[in-house]
Amino acid sequence: MTDLSSSGTGRAGGTAHSNGRGLTGLLLVSAPVALLGWLIIYPIFNAIARTLFAPTQTGTAFSLDTYGRFFSDGYALANLWLTLWVTAVCAALLLAICLPLALYLRFAKSRVAGVVQGLALFPMFVPSVILAYALIRTIGPNGGVDLVLNALGLPKINSPYLTPWGPIIGLVWDNIPLTTLMLVAGLGAVSDNAVEAARDAGARPIALLRHIILPQIGNAMLVVLSFTVLSIFSAFTLPYVLGPASPEMMGPFMQRTFSQVMDPRMAVTQAVITFAICAVFGAFYVRSIAKNREARR
Amino acid sequence: MTSHFSRRGFLATASASAAALALPRFALAADGFVNVYTGSDSNISDFWTNVILPGFKSVNPDAKVRVVDAGDGAGLRAMADRAMAALGSDADPQVDLFEAFTPDQTEGSIDAGLWVNFAETGIDALDKVNPAARQTDFDLPYRGSQVLLAYDASRVAAEDAPKTWDEMTAWIHANPGQFIYNRPDKGGSGGNFVRRAIHEANGRDPQKFTLENFSADYAAETLPGAWELLNGLAPSLYEGGSYSSGNTQSIQLLAQGVVTMTPVWSDQVLQAIAMGVLPEDTGLVQLQDLALCGGFSRITVPTNAANRDVALQLAAYVLSEEVQSKIITELGGFPGVSWDHVDGALREKYADVIPATIPTFPGGDWDAAINDGWYRNVAPGLTRG
Repeated sequence: MTDLSSSGTGRAGGTAHSNGRGLTGLLLVSAPVALLGWLIIYPIFNAIARTLFAPTQTGTAFSLDTYGRFFSDGYALANLWLTLWVTAVCAALLLAICLPLALYLRFAKSRVAGVVQGLALFPMFVPSVILAYALIRTIGPNGGVDLVLNALGLPKINSPYLTPWGPIIGLVWDNIPLTTLMLVAGLGAVSDNAVEAARDAGARPIALLRHIILPQIGNAMLVVLSFTVLSIFSAFTLPYVLGPASPEMMGPFMQRTFSQVMDPRMAVTQAVITFAICAVFGAFYVRSIAKNREARR
Repeated sequence: MTSHFSRRGFLATASASAAALALPRFALAADGFVNVYTGSDSNISDFWTNVILPGFKSVNPDAKVRVVDAGDGAGLRAMADRAMAALGSDADPQVDLFEAFTPDQTEGSIDAGLWVNFAETGIDALDKVNPAARQTDFDLPYRGSQVLLAYDASRVAAEDAPKTWDEMTAWIHANPGQFIYNRPDKGGSGGNFVRRAIHEANGRDPQKFTLENFSADYAAETLPGAWELLNGLAPSLYEGGSYSSGNTQSIQLLAQGVVTMTPVWSDQVLQAIAMGVLPEDTGLVQLQDLALCGGFSRITVPTNAANRDVALQLAAYVLSEEVQSKIITELGGFPGVSWDHVDGALREKYADVIPATIPTFPGGDWDAAINDGWYRNVAPGLTRG
């Protein structure tokens, strides 16, 4: 926080405006900003308005009834809790898997690292529908893993298919590339010199990680966390195909409320609640980006 | 590097979707084409494109017909809304025939005169229709499918396969973990299994449920009995109460030998057997005390269609013996016409599986009540909380 305010005052002097390039810049950004306003900002406010103002016989009136219904409905709350739980578990697993991977990719110089990188990025090119069906065939009941275990005379696995762990496994696999890429990018800020200096001073790997590397990639970790939370919170295909019938994650729940229960206002309410939660993590991301920029000036 | 990539990707996607939005406008302007809208799976649109349309050339060599995929039921409802909005004006609704739609899905459309009354058109069509399949004069049922129980014949002998609801319940409890049905909103095989439970809880009388008699009170009176029956089954289902997320997934679990029995659509299971997904000797059985529900896909034609006469010709052709026989052989479905109007050889071959009556369950408001009721009362399970 102190960083932010001190560099903020330092910036006040020379802006782009003073040398006449402001207008061109504004024109250049106007198209994407207009698009953002039209396709994202406007629908958000439209959605919020639709949930707050209900049509009645005498016209529209302010009403919080859908929110009241949502937060007093045990079924809906169970769905929200499941979504939060899956998101938290996925984020923790992703960091646990991707941080070692990113550290390896950042510091390894061998040719094997290239292969590992290729493998780590592979999930990026697999559409989630394909992944969902592939997972049913592998870790699903009597799937590939069971066949191997059976051939070795071992008992079958307790299949995660149709339990909350099904989508968790799929979502973690699906999000490995982006998480790894962002962490590797963050680790790029850690200079080899600092690491070598610490090593020369006799730092053990754990101390190196704790005192040299982690403090420098805190920002990247925050970005990673907000990105994964945003994408997992809104996941649809994997929970739809691999998850249990109940509780549902918010994505399938919203879709079902909209097209099956045919209650668009409730579906929009669920969406508003979902993006209110996501907005908190979005704010983290924006704040960390802003902080980064300020630091660079 | 990533941010550049995603920004470029976003621009590409944005312009592509803008182009996609603009495309139908150019393509579907009044160009003399008869527009057939379908919301069904690709096997159905393929059947139209590769079987029905080439054959239609012999009836009307000059007709130009285009099959448009509306995606799903919601897509078709949007098209019907457009036709409804165009009614009474000169605007062309740009749709001439719905491949599978029911007039009740667009509120007030029957009273407004949106749909062609097939009883009054003078085309030889409605008389051929199987009386068991008829619903209104405004729709032509042209293909049907029914839900059956499919089972692994290596584990269940044909004579032990359940033939009544009670036998089936007993079988499920005697073989815990060996039965699964899919969530009722994710596919009709599980959906109609749930509806069969509703029939069971209400005296096995399909007449008790009609499109018109839905009310929240009546649903609250008739549905809880079914939830009780289904909750009673849950502990003996796969994983103590898991439900697959679609027709295909149920078939997949049967194919992988995970479960021994599951409800399936007749056409889908016949195709799965033909493609080798399921073994040749997969057992199929229908409950004899009251069959599992089926459904018919119904052709509707808007009265304000620009090419209404050709659309009616096409509808009549679809109900011809030629096409109806191919619905059995190529689609694995049931014909929409009475069995007297299909090829005699086929009639004999399928004598055993021809259902005398196919119970149906009305859609409309019942769908939402049943599906959401199931999610709230059955899906969470008693033990799983």
